[in-house]
Amino acid sequence: MGLRSYIVTRILLTIPTLLLLLSMVFLVMRVLPGDPVALHFEKKAEPWQLEDMRRKLGLDKPLWAQYADYIWGLIDINYILAYGYPNLGKSMQTFEEVGGQIFSAFPATLELAIYSMIIASVMGILLGVVASKSYNSILDHLIRGFGTVTYAVPVFFLGIIFQLVFGVFLRWLPTGLRIRASVAPPTGLTIILSMPSGGFISNFLLSSIAGLTISAICIALLKVKHVKFRFKGFAISLAVFIIAWVVYAYVSWYFVLKGKLQIATGLYTIDSLLEANPVKFVESVKALLLPSLTLGIILSGIFVRLTRTNMLETLRLDFVTAAKARGLRESTVTYGYALRNAFLPILTMLGLQFAMLLGGAILTETTFSWPGLGRYIVQRIYFRDYTAIQGAVVMFGLFVTLVSLVVDILYAYFDPRIRL
Amino acid sequence: MEKIELSIAVLVLIGIIVSSSTMYYTSTVISNVSTVSSDVLKLAEAVANLTLTIGNFSTVSLEAIANLQAKLAAMEAALAKMTLAKKTLVVGTTDSVELTLDPAQAYDYFGWCILQQIAGTLISVKPGSTTGADFVPELAVSWNSSQDLTVWDFDLRQGVTFWDGTEFNATHVKYSFDRAIALITKIPEGAPAGLGYGDIINHTEDLSKYKVRFHLNFPFSPFMGILACRASAIVEPTYAPIAQINHTSGDPRASTPVAFVGPYFLSEWKRVAGRDIEIKLDKNPFYWNATSQYPKTEHIIFRFYSDAPTLRLAVEAGDVDMAFRHISPTDVLDLEQNPNFKVWWGTGAFVQYLCFQTKRAPFNDTRVRVAIAAALNRSSVCKTVFLDLAQPLYSIIPPEMLGHTEAFKKLGDANYTFTRSLLAPLGYNETHKLTFDLWYESSGHYPMSAEQALLYKGALDASGVMQVTLKSAEWASYKTNRDSEIMDAFVYGWYPDYVDPDDYSFLYWASWLHTNYSNATQLALYNEARATTNLTRRTELYAQIDNIAVEQCSVVPVYVSGAWAVTMPNVDGIYLDITQDMRYWLIYLK
Repeated sequence: MGLRSYIVTRILLTIPTLLLLLSMVFLVMRVLPGDPVALHFEKKAEPWQLEDMRRKLGLDKPLWAQYADYIWGLIDINYILAYGYPNLGKSMQTFEEVGGQIFSAFPATLELAIYSMIIASVMGILLGVVASKSYNSILDHLIRGFGTVTYAVPVFFLGIIFQLVFGVFLRWLPTGLRIRASVAPPTGLTIILSMPSGGFISNFLLSSIAGLTISAICIALLKVKHVKFRFKGFAISLAVFIIAWVVYAYVSWYFVLKGKLQIATGLYTIDSLLEANPVKFVESVKALLLPSLTLGIILSGIFVRLTRTNMLETLRLDFVTAAKARGLRESTVTYGYALRNAFLPILTMLGLQFAMLLGGAILTETTFSWPGLGRYIVQRIYFRDYTAIQGAVVMFGLFVTLVSLVVDILYAYFDPRIRL
Repeated sequence: MEKIELSIAVLVLIGIIVSSSTMYYTSTVISNVSTVSSDVLKLAEAVANLTLTIGNFSTVSLEAIANLQAKLAAMEAALAKMTLAKKTLVVGTTDSVELTLDPAQAYDYFGWCILQQIAGTLISVKPGSTTGADFVPELAVSWNSSQDLTVWDFDLRQGVTFWDGTEFNATHVKYSFDRAIALITKIPEGAPAGLGYGDIINHTEDLSKYKVRFHLNFPFSPFMGILACRASAIVEPTYAPIAQINHTSGDPRASTPVAFVGPYFLSEWKRVAGRDIEIKLDKNPFYWNATSQYPKTEHIIFRFYSDAPTLRLAVEAGDVDMAFRHISPTDVLDLEQNPNFKVWWGTGAFVQYLCFQTKRAPFNDTRVRVAIAAALNRSSVCKTVFLDLAQPLYSIIPPEMLGHTEAFKKLGDANYTFTRSLLAPLGYNETHKLTFDLWYESSGHYPMSAEQALLYKGALDASGVMQVTLKSAEWASYKTNRDSEIMDAFVYGWYPDYVDPDDYSFLYWASWLHTNYSNATQLALYNEARATTNLTRRTELYAQIDNIAVEQCSVVPVYVSGAWAVTMPNVDGIYLDITQDMRYWLIYLK
């Protein structure tokens, strides 16, 4: 099977996987005791109130109809075009769009996942390599001990120790939240377009004239370089050019109408840079440091052990000896030859762990008051927010499949045998 | 890709970049030109003024100039002092606004807390009140009620303005209450529905520009308490459509319909996934009491922590100036020992009680219920679990409040002889023990439930004639269990909507507890208490209700919570009274 058809099959297979996952969550949530309708009423509730709420939440319909509605919503193209994410229904607790809620919580999770993954993999792999090279020495034992201990230590324990040391005693870093309490969260890049709006046409003309002039000059310059002229290629390019131009002019006109163009990623470290606010950048990095270190150190244990075992096996292989015999540098042999060959199982683990983190690191997020997906899911399970849980699980399933797809492609890159 | 296509694509990119910068540049230029031209006009005006002033100046003596200089220096010094003083209070909490800041829906502690800072009600409870019945004027300056308590008149404060300059008047009051009542059918989970606005208020009438009249359906003495709660906040018709509630979204002004006639206005409200991550309140320059220097702190920033331990760490690390709700009893006692922090103590209003399913054996027998009530050991629960930060409760009405009694003291605490004597005739003894399941909530809906439950079991088992099995469920299941009446004995809690015994006393027979207990005499006494403003008479009536409750023990009060806040030593002006309100506009930083 070629790589392309392999990837296509993998992508197609995600659909039944997700459907199965969704159906299971759909049923399991409804089997659990507890009723989101009653939970809206802390105290007294008349029967008509309960009935109203049941209708409001769409729970008055038979189960199959609820299921069909949900699936139908997921593939509603109009909704996706209007909101930019699939219709995951309205939350049963807050009546807001679940898609919107998940996407608002996701950047926090993503930011934490990225940084802790970097810490975990760099630390884990390096320590693993060092341990395998100094096999059975004291250093090896120490690193192995470190791997085992970090693997076993609970997140909240290490987190609280860090908070106590760096937050309470040394007062270097904030103990929680995504940015120090007295600093406002970064808003990203905001461009105020105060241009008097002449509407679509005038903006189109204005930007076209400027753009076309420059393009013409560039084309003229290219001509000098004797680029071979081909009509078909030119026609297609021209069409693409014009479409891109219209889209661009329309978008810019739209933002001029709104008067404001906002670019925000939701990742505080990046948003503060976009905002060009060094104070916020430093504060957001400081706030990230403790949670990502905690998570990174705890995850690194697994990589230490995995790298060490695999490296030990690889270092014994003939080609390593041959490479050494040829007089290659020690580091080239270790990192360029041996590590690359020992990397496959580590890569799988990297992908799996990253996908896990994208679902929200519940304990870390709670310990550091980090408003991400993990806390969202826990809160919503307590409330029996069926739609929110379904949405979160669908998204989680999507992350896992996406990440494993990427891992598979990387596999093919690292190990050409797979491409055969 | 062909080379030419690639180069065209590059050209498109270059074109887009160049043209967008052109656009950006032209737009800046255009806006600059307009600013400059208006600046030029202003400059010309200023020059004209200056020449006029210089003309007048020659007449001013040198002495006056010296005087002016001295005044300026004094002002400068004062200004420097002001800028040095901290103007922002950072508050850490584990709360979050549940759904909205619309008084027609909000029905949670923190939502009400924010509403209190930004919205205005006709009256409020005096800070530091012990009974919760001392009302002070807010948007109403005086009031009176008819003899039969069904007609209430309020004279409104004059000269209060909204943001856009609109003057507050009686039509706004009428609109606010009409809207709250109209939305009850749409928002069945909202506070006006829960508090029964529709049943209590017949209609509201604006008698004149500054006089408003409420017609009630029945005599209702706690009406003042209802008016002081946040569901009675005045809304601004522009932002409060009559037929729909205002939901959370982007612009803080558009996300709450309340007229910002309170001490603060909402300047920032960010939520992630249905939970707050930032709330910022700024001083409201239009506040009617601004002349008395309220609010005392210009900005309040709320920051949201996930649980009590993380909040405590944030306090200790100095990340927040103040932590309110929820720091655990152990932590607060610990912090009290630390001179770097100040702990504020107050009265609590949350009560916890035991409920019995009275329709089934064994609890259909009153003697069994009384026997259990007598075997409870309240002080050990308060001491062991709450480190004496909660108080034993011997009436469903909390201490200091009107109508509070010590009725349940009659049964005693850990009064095992009495328990045995009651159970012996029913055939329960050391060999044939009374066995039953005691349920508690396990997901933290109430504080320290599991620890409490262990002590309840310990106290009851210690009687020697009972064998208690503990069972638990997390909140969602617990509530379903309550409604389907499968729990024979369970622990429940109550947090008041308005500070009045009227909002507590009915718990003995509340139908939604599903204890299947009802008592016509108690109900009659309760309704009589509702219909009189005579405080002595009301006290008597609630005492009578308590006396019957002790004999029936359908619901047995256990404890009333305490309240506390932790601050940095420079924070002052905190009142933690029975209303449980945190009045941020009184807080100041030294």
